[in-house]
Amino acid sequence: MSRRHTTAVPTDCWYAVAPSSAVGRSLLAVRALDRPVVLYRRSEGGVVALEDRCAHRAYPLSAGTLVGDDVRCGLCGFVYDADGQCIAVPTQPNVPFGAHVASYPVQESDGIVWAWFGEPGRARLHRVPTLPWLADAGWATVGGEREVAAGYLLLHENFADVTQVPFVAPDISPVVLASPPPLDVVVTETTVALHREFPPAPLPDWQAQLLGASSSDEYATAQDAFFLSPAVWVDHWDVTAPDGGVARLRFTQLVTPTGPGRSRVAWAVSRDFAVDDEAAGSLCATLFDDYYARVFRAMETAQGVLDTDGPGPEVNVAADVAALKVRDIVLGMLAEESPGAAPVPTSNAPRITTRRARV
Amino acid sequence: MAGTITTVREHEGDLVVESADVVAEDVVALTLVDPDGDALPPWTPGAHVDLILEDGLVRQYSLCSDPADSRVIRVGVLKAPDSRGGSKFVHERITKGSTVRVRGPRNHFPLVASPRYIFIGGGIGITPMLPMIAEAEATGADWHLYYGGRSRASMGFLDELAKYGDKVTLVPQDEAGILDLATILGDPRDDTKVYVCGPEGLLGAVEAKCGAEWPAGSLHLERFAAKEIEAPAEGERSFELELAATGITITVPPDRSIFDVCQDAGISVMGSCHEGICGTCEQVVLEGEVDHRDSVLSESEKAANDAMMICVSRCKSDRLVLDL
Repeated sequence: MSRRHTTAVPTDCWYAVAPSSAVGRSLLAVRALDRPVVLYRRSEGGVVALEDRCAHRAYPLSAGTLVGDDVRCGLCGFVYDADGQCIAVPTQPNVPFGAHVASYPVQESDGIVWAWFGEPGRARLHRVPTLPWLADAGWATVGGEREVAAGYLLLHENFADVTQVPFVAPDISPVVLASPPPLDVVVTETTVALHREFPPAPLPDWQAQLLGASSSDEYATAQDAFFLSPAVWVDHWDVTAPDGGVARLRFTQLVTPTGPGRSRVAWAVSRDFAVDDEAAGSLCATLFDDYYARVFRAMETAQGVLDTDGPGPEVNVAADVAALKVRDIVLGMLAEESPGAAPVPTSNAPRITTRRARV
Repeated sequence: MAGTITTVREHEGDLVVESADVVAEDVVALTLVDPDGDALPPWTPGAHVDLILEDGLVRQYSLCSDPADSRVIRVGVLKAPDSRGGSKFVHERITKGSTVRVRGPRNHFPLVASPRYIFIGGGIGITPMLPMIAEAEATGADWHLYYGGRSRASMGFLDELAKYGDKVTLVPQDEAGILDLATILGDPRDDTKVYVCGPEGLLGAVEAKCGAEWPAGSLHLERFAAKEIEAPAEGERSFELELAATGITITVPPDRSIFDVCQDAGISVMGSCHEGICGTCEQVVLEGEVDHRDSVLSESEKAANDAMMICVSRCKSDRLVLDL
């Protein structure tokens, strides 16, 4: 157990690299875990993820051409197959021995392409989180993607603390958040779940508008939030109307570290009510694009403090237990991937203990 | 009171026994599923769960199924002759279709990345080794399993180990004697991790051998029974306990544990075994000289004085400050 922040990124995890709809029979460049990646679909439909840098000279393969199921470099003409092996070079008949680019295991589920950047053999042993609402016709989803100059762990710790919402976005915060009810935190080896029940209260304007509720109607709210992996945070936000009907919102945050202190976040807000209502969809899209922009700006500010002045001593309150459990899980993953490479403690930060790798 | 605002606990749920298979003499393997078919929480090799068998009867069992399988978990249970009740209950009262309350998973025996592994399983200690060797095999690591038991008939899961060929050495005591640790651990190397699980005699012998000859950090072991703890001759003493995050100070009397007084004060703390073996109640120490009495922390971790198991460990100084 530890209480220390880290910027190191666990690699034994499936990270979202693109929506399925963005990957086709052309070359798509993305960045993930501080490396360039090129994505495309084979003619039979399966997605390929390769290192996006020719083995010959510094040049992105994504700037080249897809030839059948192979990729040809747009600078030197080296050709790579879908496993990343170089299979032809234009200037000589024999292929340079061992010439290849990295090939990453890929899975596709719920409309998302996930890639594995850890030890390839371990990929099969880890599950991709299931997010069925993203691909279910009974739900309507709006979403977006933002590059954020903040580390993935800062973002998860923010998602773990919904009590920040009234301060970051007071205009849209549910009034019930101002005095949060008891928080129930449930942990497993690899996940953290939070549960809260808010007593009946009037809804904020946006939510009342979405639900067609009057400003005096009181709705009870149940919040369940889940750290599913370093790549995924999900919030369930279910409101119960005075007549007993339940309207469900699902907030999906796919966090992909792109470099030190940098992340790409794909966010999605799904609803199981007013599914065919275009006005509701555009209200959600506008509102939450603005909301996430504000959240991420706050996280960029926090990252700036860490970058400038380094990690310092931190005071924790009881409600931080969820965020601290997330840190524990991440630090445990890092210790398993690189035993002995635990971060060196800074002078004024609490000391790290790597008890999970015990003698 | 601040402590009533947040509660933290481990995942717990009722699972159904899909099958209860006798896999060796006195060894039953329970395959457990969610009654609604929901996905079970993810875990990694070395993880264990608590089976909550009846009031006050909680036992830890390693998971020995495939971590990629979200539908089932499996545990292996030896009917111990000196059973304190747990394994007897499982063998006599739990059958196909039974409902069992399961807490966890948690993992205090994680498989850390390494190019080489030596796995040593004694008796029912084979169970955590099964997912570990599957992972070692998947990553292409160079590994070998030594599996000792009383007799071939007492050794479970031999059919599942057959596919690994000569990477597995079976050592039934009635045919081949006990595990030859001098040979198995005779070549200390800094590129090799040693994983061992089994009876206390085996663990102690491996600890002694590795402690003397292997690089620090090589040995990883799991204990499911507490080491003997000697109480101080002069009797237990009381001390002041400051909970920094909560902002209160309370007294721990001689006859109460830190865990107990936290609970009495309404502070949400997790705990499971209350014997210092499961690691669930670990807390970060900010100040004070800890009197470690658990079987979880290594000697160097105890010396670091920055974490403790609050179910059994106490304080040598007059004041202890926890980040709680």
